[in-house]
Amino acid sequence: MKSLFKMGTVVLCVLSLFLFGFSGIGNAAERDYFKVGVITSLSGDLATGGNVTKRGYDLWAKAVNEKGGIKINGKFYKVKLYYADAQSEPSQGASAAERLVIQEKVDFVLGPYSSGVTLAVAPVLEKYKIPMITGSAESPLIWKQKFHYTFGTIPPVNYTGATPIKTLVKLQPAPKTAFILGSNDAFSKATAEAFKAAAEKLGIKVLKYNIVPAGQDLTPFMSVAKALKPDLIAFGGHDEELVNLVKSLKQINYTPKALLMHYGVTEPAFVEALGNAADGVFGASVWTETLPTKGTFLWSDAKSYADAAMKAFKVPPDYTQAGSTAAGIAFQAALQQIGATPPLSEEERDKLVSALEKLDIDTFYGKINFADEGQYYHANVGLEPLTVQIQKGKVVIVGPSEYAEAKAIYPMVPWNKR
Amino acid sequence: MELLPQAIVDGLLIGGIYITIAIGFSLAYGVMHIIDFAVGEWIMLGAFLGFYLHKGTGIDPFILLPVVFLVFFGVGYIFQPLIHRVLSGKRGNPVLMGLVFTFGLALMFRGIALTAFGFYTHSIPAKFFQGSLFFQFGNFFVTIPMIRLAGLIYALSITAILHYLLKNTDFGLAVRALAQHKESAGLMGVNAKKTGSYVYGIYVGISAMTGVIIGSIFSINAQMGADYTVFAFFVVVLAGMGYLAGVPWAAFLLGLVQSFFLIYLSPSYTLLAVFGILYVILLISPKGLFAKGV
Repeated sequence: MKSLFKMGTVVLCVLSLFLFGFSGIGNAAERDYFKVGVITSLSGDLATGGNVTKRGYDLWAKAVNEKGGIKINGKFYKVKLYYADAQSEPSQGASAAERLVIQEKVDFVLGPYSSGVTLAVAPVLEKYKIPMITGSAESPLIWKQKFHYTFGTIPPVNYTGATPIKTLVKLQPAPKTAFILGSNDAFSKATAEAFKAAAEKLGIKVLKYNIVPAGQDLTPFMSVAKALKPDLIAFGGHDEELVNLVKSLKQINYTPKALLMHYGVTEPAFVEALGNAADGVFGASVWTETLPTKGTFLWSDAKSYADAAMKAFKVPPDYTQAGSTAAGIAFQAALQQIGATPPLSEEERDKLVSALEKLDIDTFYGKINFADEGQYYHANVGLEPLTVQIQKGKVVIVGPSEYAEAKAIYPMVPWNKR
Repeated sequence: MELLPQAIVDGLLIGGIYITIAIGFSLAYGVMHIIDFAVGEWIMLGAFLGFYLHKGTGIDPFILLPVVFLVFFGVGYIFQPLIHRVLSGKRGNPVLMGLVFTFGLALMFRGIALTAFGFYTHSIPAKFFQGSLFFQFGNFFVTIPMIRLAGLIYALSITAILHYLLKNTDFGLAVRALAQHKESAGLMGVNAKKTGSYVYGIYVGISAMTGVIIGSIFSINAQMGADYTVFAFFVVVLAGMGYLAGVPWAAFLLGLVQSFFLIYLSPSYTLLAVFGILYVILLISPKGLFAKGV
């Protein structure tokens, strides 16, 4: 029995050596497809955003492969996605990146959901010189670190966050006081900071400003709001926290003149969870399915992308999903420009980075134009930040005025009159 | 200062929610000596049953509570023999085995839920207990959200029912005997397996109902369990492991600390304060607030 076991072990060892060796040889040889790493949070607290991001990347890969692949020098190269779950933890994201590079030998990476994870993944990819575009990280901290190989299709919150406040101060009667709070993670904190900076600049008095740990019941704090009666309550957080805050305000029956949030408002689940309590909530976005864009890659405009997304997932897309798809398109365009074929050598990856820096293309998502210097280094600055509001369960653009589809509902309709 | 009554009321209401999370957990520990790391997942699964039942039938979640209880009582009843087997096995350290087993259950339930229910956050809209009561006396004012008040009443009712069951019925006597000394209780004719199954069923049923209440007050998603497990654990440790009567007081204390901190100090450090107080109390009295824990 023992010798049988020994023999089995030896056979297994030989087999695995053979397999490893074989896959090693396979990697070095020419391939007719691109290996694309996808690091995102498919489980954990940020699973919602992570899965939305995944939908965006999946849709890009599906659309590219349906056309035969990426056309480079007359030949088509398909794309194959290699997933890694960051589990909403930066440390897991970093080891996932390591695995994708070393074991899977990916050519480039479509980046994580959430800024915290991106901040952990970027240095790893920097080490291995693998280009990454993240479709959904919005903290300005990422771009301040000036990672050479990291790009992002969604502009940072300090680029977009001021826009809704600018829209709000033009409404009558303009909000004069504000409560601003953010959850304690890289993105939410940056959002709250951006809201605060913009509010102070535009003459709104900030009565309270707090960064709070995620997952606590903020109802007593909203009782303080009820006593101080701020005109505006602005909150940086993720989907679940936003839903809880609105429910808290509704339960203590305090309706500010305006309630502003950011990511999550444009998610269909926000409206589904809150029903008519979602109506009137403001948010910031860079894309909606009604935005008049003209695309030269895969989809001709926002509407046709939205239709394709709806067909694939039965859920309307939001800007995060669109931004993730656009990240794929950016790689596609840059690869075509440099004419690089898989597997990408280090030299080709450097060329890819240079091409991405010079990229200026029109897509269904809007313009993709990565900054190559300054505080937005490698973030997409080709887009116009928008103020959106939930009206009758739909995301509607209410500012800036040249993009507005409807007048903002302001002040908010009190909870008990809905 | 005008917020003082509000701080007290909010604290009690948050405490009510903590009671509902922790009471079943404390019962299960008291009788079966199992630290069930899956408590948050039972809450989550109950919440989703409530969510889908409400979606399918349109019946108010508060009316659905007994249905959710019965279903999960059944689930717990069926599950208990597995846990009993792990806990009474001859190999290894049974308490540790129990921890690992329930931790595994928690991970499994979370994974299954993520796949089956999706990753979105939902809410269970209750038509009953909408709106809020508002009182004002001079400068002081208090808002009491009806739904949270309902949560508190639910918590106190469950506590009272459990108390009655344990102190005034034969079943309760058997449960208490088992908690004190399993072998002796067996010798007196208490069927440990069956009683254990009932207790575990009751615990799982209560936790599942709590999920529905939480879904009405806050929101639910497949990942929510872990947070509630932590809170259940803290309340029960503070109350004294397995000391059921301590749970409401520990829950109210944590609720009040949280509310006062949120209102008068800073929302940034509330959880730090809650945990800080817990540690200090445990340093002074390792068996919980009343020194009656195990």
